[in-house]
Amino acid sequence: MAGPAHPKAMTPSKPGRTRTAPPQMPASWWSHPRIRTYLLFDATGLVYLLLGLVALRVIWALGAGPEVWDATLASLSSPLYVAFHVIGLVSVIFVGVRFFSFFPKSQPPRIGPAKPPPQPVILAGLYVAWIGVTVLFGLILAGRIF
Amino acid sequence: MSESKKTFVITRFDPDKDEVPKTQEYEIPVHEDWKVLDAINFIKDEVDPTISHRWSCRMAVCGSCGMMVNGEPKLTCKTRLSDYGDRVIVEPLANFPVIRDLVSELDGFMEKFQAVKPWVIRAKEEAGAVSASNPPKSSKGTFVQSAAELAEFKQFSLCINCMLCYAACPVVANEPEFLGPAAIALGHRYNLDSRDQGLDERNEVFRGEGTVFSCSFANECSEVCPKNVDPAAAVNQAKFGAVIDWATSLVLPRPGASKEGGK
Repeated sequence: MAGPAHPKAMTPSKPGRTRTAPPQMPASWWSHPRIRTYLLFDATGLVYLLLGLVALRVIWALGAGPEVWDATLASLSSPLYVAFHVIGLVSVIFVGVRFFSFFPKSQPPRIGPAKPPPQPVILAGLYVAWIGVTVLFGLILAGRIF
Repeated sequence: MSESKKTFVITRFDPDKDEVPKTQEYEIPVHEDWKVLDAINFIKDEVDPTISHRWSCRMAVCGSCGMMVNGEPKLTCKTRLSDYGDRVIVEPLANFPVIRDLVSELDGFMEKFQAVKPWVIRAKEEAGAVSASNPPKSSKGTFVQSAAELAEFKQFSLCINCMLCYAACPVVANEPEFLGPAAIALGHRYNLDSRDQGLDERNEVFRGEGTVFSCSFANECSEVCPKNVDPAAAVNQAKFGAVIDWATSLVLPRPGASKEGGK
């Protein structure tokens, strides 16, 4: 045993009949691939936090005059920022794929009389929507539409 | 039948002597077709009778023999020794207090089970007339349930309360108040049951703190479930149901609202 998990995890609301040892984490909890994947999934939250801060900085620069705006755009094209955005892109794809893989089974068997479509159809719909929205935003940002 | 030797590292805890659990190693001869439970029983029978562990049916039905095997929650009667190397670590289920050796405290689990009202709830006017000699009946006679209606919840009724999902769940490990996968799956099973009318009561529980919305969809509960109940699906369907229920309550009058308004 590696040490205590949350000391009150699963403990009853009133004292037990006998003295018990607090809940323990298994000795090798960190070594399992699924746990590592889940930790990586959770850690992407930090990447999104940083991406949000970068976005706020860009919005601030937008209102701070043309010189600041140009300097901000120049800094965003530095290798450090490019690498950070690549990490952000990989994080988004990782979380999206993971979320989509679980999404179909989270649908209730029916809502009123309506039943959801088969799971492969839901999954295909999610990917089509994702790709469609990405292409749409890409075209808008490239100035091809609007 | 070939025989080899394996070393078992087993957690020991004596509440009368030990402050914290410790480990003890046993090297024993094992048969290639043994399950982990067979080895633990061999140690108790032939090597050290002081080891405490739970088991009963030996056919993955009773749910008693859940333990951590090399860090993963397993039903030991269903877990083949041949899948492991020469050293096997056996610990009590994670996230539960330890009573002795490999035996976990179940009281907290049982309290959470009761919180989701795991029984068929009928409207009050019918419930008053129900007794052992007068079983519940619908207006068309006894409750008729089609195969399709049964199929909607059958998967979630196959839980054997082995608690592996609680030992695997990272939310249970961090939030003591979290209802947990098996309890929510059981509540959801009754919400999907065509005979049940307790949706509002259970959704009130599900919308509370430490219930369905605490789940971060790690999916670990479903990965370790020995009966393929897929508790993660149940928890997240219950989330969906609680949101739908909340959203419809904003635009549709609740049953009984007009009566209350008339008082």
